[in-house]
Amino acid sequence: MKIVAITACPTGIAHTYMAAARLEKVAKNFGHEIKVETQGAMGIENKLTEADIRQAQIAIFAVDIEVEGRDRFNGVKVIQVPLQEALKNPENIFSKIQR
Amino acid sequence: MLESLQKFRQHLLTGVSYAIPFIACGGILIAFAIAFAPMTTTGPDFSNSPRLKLILDIGSASFALMFPVLAGYISYSIAGKPGLLPGFLGGYLSGQVKAGFLGAILAGLVAGYVVEALKKVPVSKYLRPIMPILVIPILSGALIGALMIKVLGPPIAVFMNHANHALTVMSTGNDVILALVLGAMIASDMGGPINKTAFFFGAAMIGEGNYQIMGACAAAICTPPLGVGLATLIRKALWSEEEREAGLAAIAMGLIGITEGAIPFAAADPIRVIPSIVAGSAVAAAIAMVGRVGDHAPHGGPVVLPVVDHRIVYVVAILIGTLLTATLIVLLRLRTNGMKARNEETA
Repeated sequence: MKIVAITACPTGIAHTYMAAARLEKVAKNFGHEIKVETQGAMGIENKLTEADIRQAQIAIFAVDIEVEGRDRFNGVKVIQVPLQEALKNPENIFSKIQR
Repeated sequence: MLESLQKFRQHLLTGVSYAIPFIACGGILIAFAIAFAPMTTTGPDFSNSPRLKLILDIGSASFALMFPVLAGYISYSIAGKPGLLPGFLGGYLSGQVKAGFLGAILAGLVAGYVVEALKKVPVSKYLRPIMPILVIPILSGALIGALMIKVLGPPIAVFMNHANHALTVMSTGNDVILALVLGAMIASDMGGPINKTAFFFGAAMIGEGNYQIMGACAAAICTPPLGVGLATLIRKALWSEEEREAGLAAIAMGLIGITEGAIPFAAADPIRVIPSIVAGSAVAAAIAMVGRVGDHAPHGGPVVLPVVDHRIVYVVAILIGTLLTATLIVLLRLRTNGMKARNEETA
């Protein structure tokens, strides 16, 4: 499955990137293709392109703050979870998707 | 219910995340200017040092912008783009009427929900284009302005004044309790929402001119990763190779004030690690508070040492907190290993 994701935490220096790394690793284990955009203190990095979003079957927002550019995801199925979920139980998120 | 609480927290944290750089710039520039200006009985004297005065003015401007940014982005998180105007306006006025960060937070929330409500008012499609460019900005701006100047602002200003006074004259016993609580909060979820609540209280108090709350937080912020890192060094046999590597990474993160460095250890062994880091952080915060450590930057760890007051106490607080955490973890690990060995013997 093709997945896009966004991670963002209030300070944007550690959790944002740790969550992104976790999602990438676990997605690979589940056999998904994933691209994770980080919205940290440096702003948006590894930005999801329009094509990325259009091709994705699902978008994961693992965020504790409001997502920048939410309107880009109109028409895409989005599941939103607290950022902690991506750090502690990333497997849960992906098994939720498969159901 | 849980979901709406989560939403609420998300709005507040969005505002905070945009405000942090303004506190950092303002706090550090002001601290720098004051540190180098000659001290008189009425405070620092800038009459002979125009350069320091310039730095002070830039820092003060950054602080003044902090309130509109905080309120503006809380409102933005709730209501999107049309939320920015009343949010910025309410935050600015909160600074003007001396209602401080509390007033700014409230202004942001009210502004956001007002705009969200205005967006839902049904209008004919001929009027719809003028809603976002005329009606919503003027209505929400006028409403929030009147609220901040006439209704909400003044009582909050009185309250903030009292609270600040209470914090500055707080007796030693009470401020140690406050430091213990804040330290424990900082360590309890290592960068999560509880940590951020304590952290932002400290950071906001910098804006109010009280640096000791942040001083206590700053010491507590770095001891969890430093403590777990030290624990992997003093008893190598207790840890796997992977954990020892993570220990070094944790020390590096501790030095630059990132509590999150302790997460891998706390996740692997919460029952032993979390109480140990909570104890270390609480003690470090209390020592910093007793020693009147002040921190002018909204960040912690050894990396902020140049902008800390009473540096020696600060270092001592960090060292003791780190040692306490490391010792507790090692002792708890040894005890469990001992019990396991005994169980295996009897089995």
